[in-house]
Amino acid sequence: MTSQRTAILFVLPALVLYLAFVGLPILQVAAYSLFSWDNGSVTGFAGLSNFARLIDDSVFWTALGHNGIWVVLTLAFPLMIGLLLASILAECSPRTIRILGAIYFLPRTIPLVVAGIIWGWIYNPMFGLANWALDMVGLGALGGAWLAEPSTALYALNVVGAWTFFGFCVLIYLAAIQAIDPSLYEAAQLDGASWMKRFRFVTVPLLKPTTLFLGLYAAIEAMRFFDLVWVTTQGGPGYDTEVLTTHIYKTFFLVGDFGYAATLSVVLLAIVLTVSGVSYRLLRSA
Amino acid sequence: MKQRLKMRLVASTMLVASIVPASAETVVTQWDQFATSGITAAGPAMDELIAACEKALPGTKILRTVVPSIGIRESYRLAVSADKTPDLAYTWPAASVLAGYARTGKVAPLDAYYAKYKWDGINDFYRGRNSYKGKLYGIPMEQDLMGVYYNRDLFKKLGLEVPKTYAEFQAVAAKVKEAGYVPIAFGNRDRWPATNTLSLILGLTAGRDGEEKVLFGDASWNQPAFKQAAETLASWAKDGYFPRGFNGIGYDEANALFLGGRAAMTVTGSWVLQDMARGAKFDLGVFMLPPIAEGIPAGTMWGEGSQWQIAASAPDATKDAAAAYVDCLISPEHRQVWVEKGFLVPIGTKAEDLSGWNTLPAVKEFYAEGLKTPDTNFYDLHTTLPESVTQVLYPELQRLIGGDATPDEFLTAMQQSWTKAVANGERWQP
Amino acid sequence: MNATAMLAAPSASRPAGRHRSLGAYAAGRLGRHLILVLFALYALAPVYLVLLASVRSEADLFSGPLSLPWPIDLSNYARTWNESGFAHYFLNSLIISTGSTVLVLLTAPLAGYAFAKLDLPRKELLFGLFLAGLVVPAPSVIVALYGNLQKLGLLDTRLGVILPQAALLLPFSVFMMRTVMQDVPKELIEAAVVDGASPLSVYFRVVLPVVRPGLMSLALIAFLFSWQEYLLPLVVIQADDLKPLTVGAATLQGRYGVDYGGIAAAGTIAFGPLVVLFLVMQRSFVRGLTAGAVK
Repeated sequence: MTSQRTAILFVLPALVLYLAFVGLPILQVAAYSLFSWDNGSVTGFAGLSNFARLIDDSVFWTALGHNGIWVVLTLAFPLMIGLLLASILAECSPRTIRILGAIYFLPRTIPLVVAGIIWGWIYNPMFGLANWALDMVGLGALGGAWLAEPSTALYALNVVGAWTFFGFCVLIYLAAIQAIDPSLYEAAQLDGASWMKRFRFVTVPLLKPTTLFLGLYAAIEAMRFFDLVWVTTQGGPGYDTEVLTTHIYKTFFLVGDFGYAATLSVVLLAIVLTVSGVSYRLLRSA
Repeated sequence: MKQRLKMRLVASTMLVASIVPASAETVVTQWDQFATSGITAAGPAMDELIAACEKALPGTKILRTVVPSIGIRESYRLAVSADKTPDLAYTWPAASVLAGYARTGKVAPLDAYYAKYKWDGINDFYRGRNSYKGKLYGIPMEQDLMGVYYNRDLFKKLGLEVPKTYAEFQAVAAKVKEAGYVPIAFGNRDRWPATNTLSLILGLTAGRDGEEKVLFGDASWNQPAFKQAAETLASWAKDGYFPRGFNGIGYDEANALFLGGRAAMTVTGSWVLQDMARGAKFDLGVFMLPPIAEGIPAGTMWGEGSQWQIAASAPDATKDAAAAYVDCLISPEHRQVWVEKGFLVPIGTKAEDLSGWNTLPAVKEFYAEGLKTPDTNFYDLHTTLPESVTQVLYPELQRLIGGDATPDEFLTAMQQSWTKAVANGERWQP
Repeated sequence: MNATAMLAAPSASRPAGRHRSLGAYAAGRLGRHLILVLFALYALAPVYLVLLASVRSEADLFSGPLSLPWPIDLSNYARTWNESGFAHYFLNSLIISTGSTVLVLLTAPLAGYAFAKLDLPRKELLFGLFLAGLVVPAPSVIVALYGNLQKLGLLDTRLGVILPQAALLLPFSVFMMRTVMQDVPKELIEAAVVDGASPLSVYFRVVLPVVRPGLMSLALIAFLFSWQEYLLPLVVIQADDLKPLTVGAATLQGRYGVDYGGIAAAGTIAFGPLVVLFLVMQRSFVRGLTAGAVK
């Protein structure tokens, strides 16, 4: 009994801080969603009518789709690249590993606000590096306003997102590879397996738990990222980079419809919690 | 640090004041967006006028907080929702948000003050914009005008004249383009610039009366005059009047393009007049866009951008002090300070006044032109539509000019959100 | 798991793989190293670009973005630091990040220890509660948080950022600390308990010294994340002299029009310290980041 009380006392400081500044606001927001609001003031009880509005809200569905695409792109690009780079790097000298590991991770140390500004310049149609580089190699005609054209905006933005994330994947994979029993590789090499084969049949299968962990982490981040879009496109052009968090932000702060913004938040939380709950179970059984 | 200390000192004076009402000092908390540089660079003028007005109004103390203009919309909304509304605030975008706060009873009606202080310089147009259901809620201050800035040197070099008709304007743009320059420097990454451009065009295809039939009547956005406006704006984009990738160019960058001599014109408001006049290394000129549709009178988009508003929750003595202070700020003798040091022209200032004051020639020229047509000047959609409609206007305009939505699709989307907003009681009513 | 067995089947079905020439081997190696270099460029080019822009005397928008500015001009830094308030912003970032980090260090290891080693009732549920915090998007809670901070009188104070910031970091920190604490040998704790040490003294005298590297990692990561936070301080803080670097850098964009040199210098000031910190403490960083993942 006393040992249980001790345990509770140990958890208590973190729990109180967490509940006061994260838990309570979430409950409040959930309560907001049941009321109708006008410019930040409650005007009446709304029941579930805010939730019924989701069906007709085409921006919500567009945003949800973009989050979905972002999840897929993140799993496809930074994660795969991270795995590939880590596998190559694992065979290099410790010095190379340290230097390149640092270089790859460097973008993650840059605040997203600043990353957004820098990449905004790179993509700038007037003076950006992207168009300038295309001009240099004689492909100027391919240049454009990368973040401002419907066909490229989301993908151009994802290149920025990947830029801040792939180094993290490299480091995690690298640590996992270094934990693999080297004798497995030696055995494979004796069998005459090429690098590609060793990659495919030793590294990839043994890193499955790491991949699941990173995938889960990446998917959660892909559902809740905000700063990057807000400082670059604010969801534009049109609705082409709108994501759930920007839709929530606009509904809260600009329209002042707290009830519906809260509804969107609740739905977002429910989606991510469900998906990650299921994945977490998968992860633990793997 | 000093400012914080001052605030604490004042807070303690407030405590004392509440105990000893006899020697009371009325403290008015003020939020404004006047920075020390950039678009709203009236910060130093603001400080000077606070000092002057505190002197003129013994017993009134102004506690100023500067909120960057890009965030003041959000900050004010949060403050209102948390019952922390500043006693006096200068926020944007004008009528579109003001109506919301009037509707929910968060800002105080000001009719008594309008009568007491005889704010006659604020004409019926501006009074209407700052009213909700017959009561006045805001005191507009900045006289914003929309016009066409042009590079006189470049016009001369290309042998161009200031256009008198819209057909001439189109011919000018075509010739500029042919000569390898950008006709109109324009960037819409920040999403709001195109709302001003469309507003200017709309007033010149539909006229003020035509706009009012939609904004205050039952007429639909889906009508020929509105369609012509959408088509005109879309054609500017399609015919290459704008620089490549304009939806990805910032407002400041577009201005830099014009100031750098690479574009012949830029269509924007008087709010950047000072930056333009100072930044131009060429002879800067201004003209008003000619009417686009047949039978529409000349005029331009005007508005106030921001307005003073007083919190409903403030004690009566504070409200009175705030109103007296605003009266001091917009008094005729202080207008000159705003113009000469604040780089903004207060509403009610006449072109004749400006001619005698120490300001740049381009400023005088712009206001002389824009104030010629007070009876036909028209609305700015950005500061007129309710926020829920503005949040549709922003993306839909990017789609329209980007060629991703047709004028009809644009108008249908606008009408849809307009209907919803009207049904919710969101539109402001003079 | 028998990896050689796994390997045997597929490689047997593809015998061609065994007859690779030395040339192909070298080409493959070269190709792989090219990939490494390519992604190093991807990581570094934007950073290089912003450093260049920050030392250009007068940012010329329309010249080649990679042209080396000469002579190198530090006036952008001087102006940003002295006139645009970045000396204040820097100090505020330092105070806020340090404050949140300390708060996290005071709470998360205790909780992690309880989750890993103590007899905590409803352990799974409580841990799940913390984990759920990982998915909370900032724009969703910020409005309610603002109202609460107003009631506490914490708006427009650094503490008003520090407390929620620490709370937002807790899910990750508790998760990481549980992993770290699991590695503390059970015998060590039991020996101390047998010696009659109280739970607190076991924690401070026995456990904390063992997990010191983990604490170091946690501190670094908490500091990094606090320093990078944007929306929270943006909303909570109004007074210019209390703002952190991220907010200062973002507002520069509108304020100074096209002063790209100034913005670049501001950006560099905003991420410079983190880069230095990371490079100096790389090992600790990596250990912390991988603590939760590789298990």
